[in-house]
Amino acid sequence: MLHIITGGSGSGKSAFAEKQILDFGPAKRYYIATMHPFDEESKKRVQRHRTMRSGKGFETIERYTHMEQIQGICGANVLLECMSNLVANEMYEEGGAGKKTVDAVVKGIRHLAQQAENLVIVTNEVFSDVQNYDAETLRYLQYLGEINGRLAKEADRVTEVVYGIPIHVKG
Amino acid sequence: MELIIGGAYQGKLEYAKMQKPDIVWAEGEICSMEDLAKAAGVNHFELFIKKLLKENRDVSGLASRLIQVNPDVTLISEEVGYGVVPVDAFDRQYREAVGRVCTELAAFSKKVHRVVCGVGMVIKDA
Repeated sequence: MLHIITGGSGSGKSAFAEKQILDFGPAKRYYIATMHPFDEESKKRVQRHRTMRSGKGFETIERYTHMEQIQGICGANVLLECMSNLVANEMYEEGGAGKKTVDAVVKGIRHLAQQAENLVIVTNEVFSDVQNYDAETLRYLQYLGEINGRLAKEADRVTEVVYGIPIHVKG
Repeated sequence: MELIIGGAYQGKLEYAKMQKPDIVWAEGEICSMEDLAKAAGVNHFELFIKKLLKENRDVSGLASRLIQVNPDVTLISEEVGYGVVPVDAFDRQYREAVGRVCTELAAFSKKVHRVVCGVGMVIKDA
């Protein structure tokens, strides 16, 4: 099954997502980490997540673009974190999908969903704020919003996590 | 403990006053830790967190401290952190800190209300 988990900053999405994977039972667990740690703050963030996951039996796959190339996750319970980084990577990293990001990401996720027994994806509510964003940021929001919408349509379950409390949006 | 959360200008305080007509609401922006420990209700709890961060104080122990000293308080807090990750480092730290503190408090709270367009929804009722 495909479960999309969304929420704001610091809302407890990750902890909730990890729990979903643990609740699926003892099958092999993979964590697809999409954040490219390029500075001190992101390294700290990665470390925080590693500490949270430790002892929960996840094997980490660090992959910043091209989810369709991931192999060897057949029958496993897979947590991908997070969509907001994956989209930025596909848009801006060398060798990323660039202007074809929306279709490329949806295709990559379908590939993962077909392989995995259960796929849980953490995405991000970044769409509600009052700021004058530049055109590039708006394009990013548009891509991420479209991807979230398309994947939610295919998902069995969509949950918004509000301060650790699950709000069932779908399923 | 109860939390009343929601976006800016959603009518959280008005909703809170209807729910709890007898409470005198302290203001998070100006109240001290001592005030917080004694208050029956606090409005703009997110600004209390912001004030501590501005003073370079660590807020990672704030939730557990509050649970210890004032477990029956009702907190009104603005939900921040639903926009693009801010460029400014302090803004990033602030929105994440509000999330982490409130997530910890929500786990302890008996009731969590979320106010949208003035309408309160109880999203946790333990």
